[in-house]
Amino acid sequence: MAESAVAVGTGQAVHVHHEELGFWRTYVFSTDHKMIGRQFLFLGLFMMILGGLLALMIRWQLAWPETQIPGLRWVPEPFMYDGAMGPEFYNAVFTMHATIMIFFVVMPILVGCFGNFLIPLMIGARDMAFPVLNMLSFWVGAVSGVIMLAGFFVPGGHAAGGWTAYAPLTAVTQYTGVNWGQNIWCISLILLGISSLMGSINYITTIINMRAPGMTFFRLPLVIWSLFIVAILLLLALPVLTSALAMLLFDRMLGTSFFLPAGGGEPLLWQHLFWFFGHPEVYVLILPAMGVASEVLSVFARKPIFGYRAMAYSMIAIAFLSWIVWGHHMFQSGMNPALATSFMVSTMVIAVPSAIKTFNWLGTLWGGSIRFTTPMLHGLAFVSMFVIGGLSGIFMASTPVDIFIHDTYFIVAHIHYVVFGGSVFGIFAAIAYWFPKLFGRMMNETLGKIHFWLTFLAFNGTFFPMHILGVGGHMRRIYNPMQYEFLQPLQPVNVFITVSALVLGIVQIPFVINFFWSLFAGKKAERNPWQANTLEWTAPSPPPHGNWGDTLPVVYGGPYEYSPPGVSEDYLPQTQSRVPHLAAAH
Amino acid sequence: MAGGTVADPVLDESGLHLTEVPPVVPPSPHEADLPPPSPPPRKEPFVSNARLGMLMFLAFEAMFFGGLLGAFLVFRLAAVHWPPPGQPYLPGVVTWINTGILLSSGVTMRRALRAIRDGNQSGLMNGLGVTALLGAIFLAVQGGEWVRLVRYGLTLTSGTYGSTFYTLIGCHGVHVLGAVVWLLVILLQSARYRFTARDHVGVQLCGMYWTFVVGLWPVLFGLVYLY
Amino acid sequence: MLSWLPENVSTYGGEVDFLFYLIYYITGATFILVTVTMLAFLFLYRRREGRRAIYSHGNTTLEIIWTIVPAIILVVLSFMSQASWARIKSHAPPGDVEVQVTSKQFNWEMTYPGPDGKFGTADDLTLENQLHVPVGKVVRVHLRSKDVIHSFFLPNLRLKQDTVPGREILAWFQATKAGTYEIPCAELCGFGHSGMKGWLYVHPADEYETWVKERWPSSSQGEGSKGS
Ligand code: HEA
Ligand code: HEA
Ligand code: CUA
Ligand SMILES: [Cu+2]
Repeated sequence: MAESAVAVGTGQAVHVHHEELGFWRTYVFSTDHKMIGRQFLFLGLFMMILGGLLALMIRWQLAWPETQIPGLRWVPEPFMYDGAMGPEFYNAVFTMHATIMIFFVVMPILVGCFGNFLIPLMIGARDMAFPVLNMLSFWVGAVSGVIMLAGFFVPGGHAAGGWTAYAPLTAVTQYTGVNWGQNIWCISLILLGISSLMGSINYITTIINMRAPGMTFFRLPLVIWSLFIVAILLLLALPVLTSALAMLLFDRMLGTSFFLPAGGGEPLLWQHLFWFFGHPEVYVLILPAMGVASEVLSVFARKPIFGYRAMAYSMIAIAFLSWIVWGHHMFQSGMNPALATSFMVSTMVIAVPSAIKTFNWLGTLWGGSIRFTTPMLHGLAFVSMFVIGGLSGIFMASTPVDIFIHDTYFIVAHIHYVVFGGSVFGIFAAIAYWFPKLFGRMMNETLGKIHFWLTFLAFNGTFFPMHILGVGGHMRRIYNPMQYEFLQPLQPVNVFITVSALVLGIVQIPFVINFFWSLFAGKKAERNPWQANTLEWTAPSPPPHGNWGDTLPVVYGGPYEYSPPGVSEDYLPQTQSRVPHLAAAH
Repeated sequence: MAGGTVADPVLDESGLHLTEVPPVVPPSPHEADLPPPSPPPRKEPFVSNARLGMLMFLAFEAMFFGGLLGAFLVFRLAAVHWPPPGQPYLPGVVTWINTGILLSSGVTMRRALRAIRDGNQSGLMNGLGVTALLGAIFLAVQGGEWVRLVRYGLTLTSGTYGSTFYTLIGCHGVHVLGAVVWLLVILLQSARYRFTARDHVGVQLCGMYWTFVVGLWPVLFGLVYLY
Repeated sequence: MLSWLPENVSTYGGEVDFLFYLIYYITGATFILVTVTMLAFLFLYRRREGRRAIYSHGNTTLEIIWTIVPAIILVVLSFMSQASWARIKSHAPPGDVEVQVTSKQFNWEMTYPGPDGKFGTADDLTLENQLHVPVGKVVRVHLRSKDVIHSFFLPNLRLKQDTVPGREILAWFQATKAGTYEIPCAELCGFGHSGMKGWLYVHPADEYETWVKERWPSSSQGEGSKGS
């Protein structure tokens, strides 16, 4: 095992076997990291449509409560009544919306797809350390997705306790009427944890052991840094969720009483375990997007990233701190108020590394020669939208302010500014930027820009007004705001949000068209269409099995050498020797 | 390969600050398809892929048990009486002995590893066999105790005391069971002389896993039985 | 500018609102700073023929500044928040009025101790979804739950506290203005979560006396639920 790793890792000539693999082994049960990455991408995009349609159902109900949703009259009772949603179904819908978006859209795309695709290509390896484990990781993930979707079809309906599944609501069937739905939710997430475990083991091992010669840790592109850190977070956070899910399942099925006060159990225990996982999890969603933004901003500003080491260290700091802030989700839960104070302090502190990152991105733009390509636009949107989402986090971090805005739409606004404004814009940037490498063709820039601007506007139209709702006291997870007198004056805001959300959904169509059209008919991509420095651009587009022909790349410098003095081009690939007289001496 | 003497200085640069490097660079990256200087020799990885992967798997396992132990401690620390009134004490003496059995299996596993490192095939097989046997005894004794406890009326449904006990110790038991099965597979492979003094990754990995399962036990024993 | 916070009628609500506005102005200024800088850079440094980007790997002094300044702001914010938080959640003042609020799917049960001031006695009175309190008095609310977690939310009084089965949690407020306010449930508690609400009646002193007299006619004492 050790030997083979070394052989693959050296810059020596390694003969790559080009045996012809059949359809199944090329496209379905592939062990090639690039194909697995693409599989994750398709899984995630498919799920995004589902998760998005569920979101639109939520929005319809909130704007025009208990009216018929067009096209949904076929959904049987007791979920929908002639196309109008029932309250229990509403709960299941937002639960699944969040579960799907977080676990089956953002994680598969940012971590699954780009982690798999980029790590070997950007560190100069031929594949992952454990290709078979990698394939299993995808297939276990896919099965977990199928199981999760199957929950819609069981009697009693799907899990309806929110994505946070607070016990004891979720621990006793009578409280919600949901029986197998909740069990399926637990089982599917346990499986997903196993899938992520296999992925993380691969990522960490590959990055530690299989970097190309000369690729020191501080020559790694920041996106690889981010994926490395994310893999560690996942490796250590998911098992805690797994143990909590196991206990929840036991409570539900075997009669234990971990979370049931009647048997001496402790409901807050679930929250502690869930958020101990959950907070690192939200940084799992944002860190890779931060990495993507760093790549994209540097490439299209034609400037080295500002403060490379600070960028890497601040991600490490975020990862460390993310373990000690989980209590900020529980300020109003009945947890000891003194404990809440210490969680507030750590939460405030975690904003500092984010500040470093934000200002360093601005520093990267300063003095650049900025090209407004589609990936760059998405990268810039990531920065500014993440700032809005992060700043709203400061309100909630302040314990007294959180008294009022906890469990209101202010939180929903925060969620979506960080996960849509952050992670999803990161996804769009990454897809637009690496599409040529993924599929060997360029995406259409015009369509890309149309999609960007419409999404940017509709996104803000959808989620910015949610702050207004939240400040007005509008609770989250309510089925019908019209039931509350003090919310009725806010209803026009709800209608505005829903209209924007519908637009947001519709303007994803240009993206879908662009994606598939470019996949088959886009302009053929050159090796390095963006004139970038990192290693993946030295491989053909798309890279063949084994990524580089007979010799692996050798690294001579950092990833962000843009516009260096003494070079006529405005970039200097990592494989380019910086000391030409040594080359001559060879 | 010409060795690393030429290129080493390049590697030592931070790679970030071009100013530290002579600014004479080929005119254009495209035209400069010069043969690159001989690459710095790649060092052997500090820990092999397989062992690194295994280490990470064990980290996952440790966090998993960490979650369960956290739950246990929440109840244990809040309890005035433990066991709660009416619940049986956990078997002490038998479990002390059983702990001894499991710990000694850790030693025999080490022996097996040392044997194969010296190329001693029969030593390996003996070591593995004894380890598996000790593991099986541990499980059998524990199973017997469980039967007695259940007769006594302590079940999964007996409040948090029963829930935490069976869940934690049961999860550990399942892990031991898995490890014993793995040991048997390795034993079968070693009977076919699958391992050599130089190449015995399978034994190493299984040994790491066994060490984890054995090392976890004193923690559980101390907290669940003795505390 | 921000008239959309609901009217505050609680003594400590002002502290919450103050912190809210303070953070609003700080984050607002930060956002403007970041956005204006970004737009300016995007305009100034857009790609133009014949101009090359500046080659710079960073500036340590600048980086230290923009680490320290936010850090100081955030630490100060933490200290200011901590003081209010302790007043609101940790140190409940002695109560003039005590009530027990028990949540269940999907109602609030409000229990008044009656003239003897003790819960669990014969003169207790339990009303569904109606909380009657006098204005200007400290009301201590003992929160319990019968089934799942709910959350006792008084938007106008800046009070929110989850109710947890198996625990009793103490919350308090002192209303500054008479009126009728909604008490929504703010934690998902099942299909009836939406619409689980009660009413808070904050009575002027005399009106409150009448209410107490109507409920406990035998009692000669006016302050029916006077605490210990
Ligand atoms: C990608 C996901 C993501 C990210 C990155 C974050 C980032 C942060 N989050 Fe968020 N959060 C969620 C996803 C995320 N969150 C989700 C999903 C929930 C809801 C879960 C649920 O209940 O369903 C939630 C809920 C949540 C809560 C609980 C609220 C409640 O329920 O009452 C809190 C409370 O403190 C919080 C705080 C923060 C903070 C302080 C940050 C910080 O990391 C932000 C740091 C960034 C900045 C601050 C901006 C950049 C900095 C500057 C420009 C410098 C200058 C700044 C100052 C001087 C102020 N978040
Ligand atoms: C990655 C995470 C993610 C993403 C991307 C989104 C995206 C969206 N979310 Fe969601 N959301 C969460 C994570 C996310 N959300 C979480 C964690 C919660 C908390 C849940 C809880 O309380 O438990 C939540 C809750 C939540 C609520 C609150 C529900 C409640 O509390 O009652 C609302 C309400 O408006 C909402 C709306 C939306 C909308 C309109 C989008 C839109 O951005 C979606 C737009 C996308 C599409 C529409 C898909 C694209 C479609 C196509 C390409 C097909 C073509 C389209 C058409 C034909 C129309 N979300
Ligand atoms: Cu009770 Cu929500
Ligand atoms: Cu958090």
